[in-house]
Amino acid sequence: MVQESVLNTNNFKKTSRDGVNWDLSEAVPRLPGETHVADKEVIYICPFNGPIKGRVYITNYRLYLRSLETDSALILDVPLGVISRIEKMGGATSRGENSYGLDITCKDMRNLRFALKQEGHSRRDMFEILTRHAFPLAHSLPIFAFLNEEKFNVDGWMVYNPVEEYRRQGLPNHHWRITFINKCYELCDTYPSLLVVPYRASDEDLRRVATFRSRNRIPVLSWIHPENKTVIVRCSQPLVGMSGKRNKDDEKYLDVIRETNRQISKLTIYDARPNVNAVANKATGGGYESDDAYHNAELFFLDIHNIHVMRESLKKVKDIVYPNVEESHWLSSLESTHWLEHIKLVLTGAIQVADKVSSGKSSVLVHCSDGWDRTAQLTSLAMLMLDSFYRSIEGFEILVQKEWISFGHKFASRIGHGDKNHADADRSPIFLQFIDCVWQMSKQFPTAFEFNEQFLITILDHLYSCRFGTFLYNCESARERQKVTERTVSLWSLINSNKDRFKNPFYTKEINRVLYPVASMRHLELWVNYYIRWNPRIKQQQPNPVEQRYLELLALRDEYIKRLEELQLANSAKLSDPSTSPSSPSQMMPHVQTHF
Amino acid sequence: MMFFFLFSVSGNASNPEFKKKKNSECLLRLRHEGLLNSCPAGVASCPASSCPFRSPRSPRLKLLESALLLGPRPTAGGMEFSELIRTGRAQAELLRGPGAPPLRGTLCVTGHHLLLSPGPQATSDLWLLLLRSVDSIEKRVAGDSGTITLRCKDLRVLQLDIEGVEATLDIARSIEALSSLESVITSFPFFYRPKGLRLGDAWHFHPPEHYYKRVARETNAWRLSEVNEDFSVCPSYPRAVIVPRAVDDDALARSARFRQGGRFPVLSYHHAPSGTVLLRSSQPLTGPQKRRCAEDEELLRAVLAGARPGARGFIVDTRSAQAAKQARMTGGGTEAKAAYPGWKRLHRPMERGRPLQESFVRLVEACGDLEQSMDRWLSRLEGCRWLAHVKEALSTACLAAQGMEREGACILVHGAEGTDSTLLVTSLAQLILDPLSRTMTGFQELVEREWIQAGHPFQLRCAHSAFSHARPKHEAPTFLLFLDCVWQLGRQFPLSLEFGEGLLLALFEHAYASPFGTFLCNSEKERCLCEVRTRTHSLWSGLNQPKEQRKLRNPLYVLNPLAIWPSVEPQSLRLWQGLFLRWTRPPEPSEAAWEKVWQIVTDKEKTEGSQPTVSASEPQP
Repeated sequence: MVQESVLNTNNFKKTSRDGVNWDLSEAVPRLPGETHVADKEVIYICPFNGPIKGRVYITNYRLYLRSLETDSALILDVPLGVISRIEKMGGATSRGENSYGLDITCKDMRNLRFALKQEGHSRRDMFEILTRHAFPLAHSLPIFAFLNEEKFNVDGWMVYNPVEEYRRQGLPNHHWRITFINKCYELCDTYPSLLVVPYRASDEDLRRVATFRSRNRIPVLSWIHPENKTVIVRCSQPLVGMSGKRNKDDEKYLDVIRETNRQISKLTIYDARPNVNAVANKATGGGYESDDAYHNAELFFLDIHNIHVMRESLKKVKDIVYPNVEESHWLSSLESTHWLEHIKLVLTGAIQVADKVSSGKSSVLVHCSDGWDRTAQLTSLAMLMLDSFYRSIEGFEILVQKEWISFGHKFASRIGHGDKNHADADRSPIFLQFIDCVWQMSKQFPTAFEFNEQFLITILDHLYSCRFGTFLYNCESARERQKVTERTVSLWSLINSNKDRFKNPFYTKEINRVLYPVASMRHLELWVNYYIRWNPRIKQQQPNPVEQRYLELLALRDEYIKRLEELQLANSAKLSDPSTSPSSPSQMMPHVQTHF
Repeated sequence: MMFFFLFSVSGNASNPEFKKKKNSECLLRLRHEGLLNSCPAGVASCPASSCPFRSPRSPRLKLLESALLLGPRPTAGGMEFSELIRTGRAQAELLRGPGAPPLRGTLCVTGHHLLLSPGPQATSDLWLLLLRSVDSIEKRVAGDSGTITLRCKDLRVLQLDIEGVEATLDIARSIEALSSLESVITSFPFFYRPKGLRLGDAWHFHPPEHYYKRVARETNAWRLSEVNEDFSVCPSYPRAVIVPRAVDDDALARSARFRQGGRFPVLSYHHAPSGTVLLRSSQPLTGPQKRRCAEDEELLRAVLAGARPGARGFIVDTRSAQAAKQARMTGGGTEAKAAYPGWKRLHRPMERGRPLQESFVRLVEACGDLEQSMDRWLSRLEGCRWLAHVKEALSTACLAAQGMEREGACILVHGAEGTDSTLLVTSLAQLILDPLSRTMTGFQELVEREWIQAGHPFQLRCAHSAFSHARPKHEAPTFLLFLDCVWQLGRQFPLSLEFGEGLLLALFEHAYASPFGTFLCNSEKERCLCEVRTRTHSLWSGLNQPKEQRKLRNPLYVLNPLAIWPSVEPQSLRLWQGLFLRWTRPPEPSEAAWEKVWQIVTDKEKTEGSQPTVSASEPQP
């Protein structure tokens, strides 16, 4: 969606031949509800091809640049939502060509630089307009998603219905019940209204447990194994503190969870953090489940670092890939970012969770500190490994909607939608890291996922774009207050109304197959098509040529089958007496039986 | 099919004792598979008339022995493999690494193979390993059993747990001796007679004449010369080579004397769209005195004249300018600018020989090292420098290809001997430019013409793979590097190659150890002396059997008439996991994807194929 493309060459030539008085409606793609704000002639300092003269159009949704040079068909189409920072470069007296203008840092691994004329403060307007519309929150303006009037023939908000999803998992059953205790978000304001808890725990028990869990995020069910009935339960850290507090209700509650599955005498607790961090958290009132307090539980640390480490790691990745790729020591530079190592740790943790549930036949409790970053990564990836339903397009949407959006991953804080505070320490690419892990899995299992790479990239693009309401706000209660589902469009509307674009032609549906990706550094790759996609030297063929070819073959096959059926029809019509036929249509069928 | 123990070779007797009924059944089976056409145990005891040591010795063969240093010298009655087999038989368990279940059964060493025949209750088939493919062997004994670890040339690591200390040591010794036999004509290809293939088939597929026909259709500036008919002008060239029409055989012979190993400039590829050519040779023997050779200069002048008036040429020297200069001290050197008007020299240093082999060894070590802290994997991978060699090779090939396609210049490639990095560059440049070389047959022809017939010394380069502890002498994975570069091309252009990873893996395996004769010897001359073409089967006929196609072909192939310019940025090049991590990763997922694509393609063909059936089933009036 966001691309420097040469695809529109024809369109461009037509308009440029018509002269400079462009019809704006033709020159710039516009969404319903998108309004033109300003346009201006600038020089785009392309890091790959040098300065290019162009006209930039700013709307309340995007920054659109069209080259004015005849030998370049460059187009930039950047949603304002991806902008994280706008800086002025150079001063009124700066010397040197193109040294005066704006420097724009984006959230999607690129920077944009525009040079303007020095006379008459020409950049001031552009700076102010961009700042206003890229950071609407600071100017009491609405985020574009609330202005977007796009209509789709399917409603993405209908994709996730918690009751239906739990019913699909076979819930409630006689060990687990659905509770509405959080209906008005008074038990836990960052949890969804509907929760699945042990049948034997009363609402009163839940309230008492909530006092002992950070931000009241009590252990609740995420997923249940269809056969052995072991469960993945998520929560936040216990409030143990320096004094090593205990809470009988919490201890009893975990024991109740353990007892829902009688195959193993222990409950496994995965604390996503490194051991030292978990200990350090005691100083601020947090901590982890000690052996003495929780006799029937085994605790493992998964060594995944916190949001700040991840943010710095991704920053280093950007440093070595944009604008120029660090070539002389590519692999060791990549290693020094530690990005793939973090990916490895997240995947390894998820594999452990999945394996414990599937082969170890033990219920698992996952938490980190608050239970909305690393915990979401681990539960959702483990569920993706265990449950083939989540590997379909809609299943994946449900997974994201459930484990991330409804359980309060703080998208607004982590991404900073419409917020000008680019240095906010709350920002972190946790969700991107999750999508990267999914991509690594899809690489290793090319037939296991219904969606393709484009699907994942589209999700990431709209994670920032603010065109849809899907990723806005930090939790369900805030979304409900803002009536997001009524006032905005869902990203899944866009995707589900045009599913073919996002389908992996190699997909082979398999039920009950557990996927264990190889999480060794040898088998992990940098996702070049995402992180380095702005670099024109990276051969990025869109759409993917293999998929393209495969689709052609599929179409050919369908055509042959159709022709064959026509022939058979014509044939059977001719057969007045079936007994004379050496081969009836039903006998012919095996020839055209396909394996799908 | 279930079957029993095959045959055994006892410590002292050279006669294989066959258990009558069941064994004859097994033998029949083996014969069917072409594995047993001649003696399984020892040559001396072999009744088969095809046995080379039974037939009267031809004078030619004697000549060959001295020429090729035929391993252990045969005795009067012929060398007996059985002398090297102390214990031929033991109970053992075979561990084949992750994914494959262990196999228990009777282990048996024969002249060319290691066999494991599972017990009668087992359902699995006989397991068989060509001894030649063993790269290194390690033995350990403890208590009353032993363990042999076999590291194979295809990078597989196998472990055999054997009952009995004596048996372990004996078997280890036998494997060691038999896997390192240097004799060519006692090697397995001379005994391998697979069912369904005829000797001599496919050997005639790709003679130089065949390629010349194509060139002759495009231009008449070139001719086929048989100046090397008896291999006396250049021992490492084939009998016929393609040279400028304007240069006669005498001049060629003189030019040959001015080039190392007699490798005078010959045509490697004619790029019809630009009318330019790609040539290869070895370094000129200018020496410290800066000698010149009029015929050699004339030859290169004729090349430019034959292309088009005013054409330019580039000499791509695969050594650094300094190395080329230094070579003068040992009689070599490079073309002086003044002597070759119209030609410009470019130096693109490429690693070869020892450093390349060491890079390969380090990489395989890193890939197999499961102990090491994985946080350091990427820098270790970088430290192996293998991907740097891939990048060098591809970018030099791009340079040569660009010179032809974009600059309209003729290109001559050489390093020192002109048998390694030179061939790497010329063959890759052709893949980039020539759509025909990207087809199944075109690629086989390219390998045959630009590697085998062009005199890449396979016997020397591929004597050992990455595991051998023996001091490397002439080993170098140049051909593997070529295959890796082709794989990178295939990854970047997934539709443009008609063959898939399967073919590249097969070529790698067969180059190092093969039942076929294609990669035997170092040159056409040696192949001729050993009568490889008449007495062994060609790999191409083996590979081109219909049953192999699914593994080798790229189902998504569509003819791409354009040049394919690879990206050589470091982030575009990947470790070839399918080769280097082949035995340590679970293969299923990628195989499933491959299978899926095949399914759809064959479905299509089936549907196409069944159309006539429909009309045929129409009732007759």
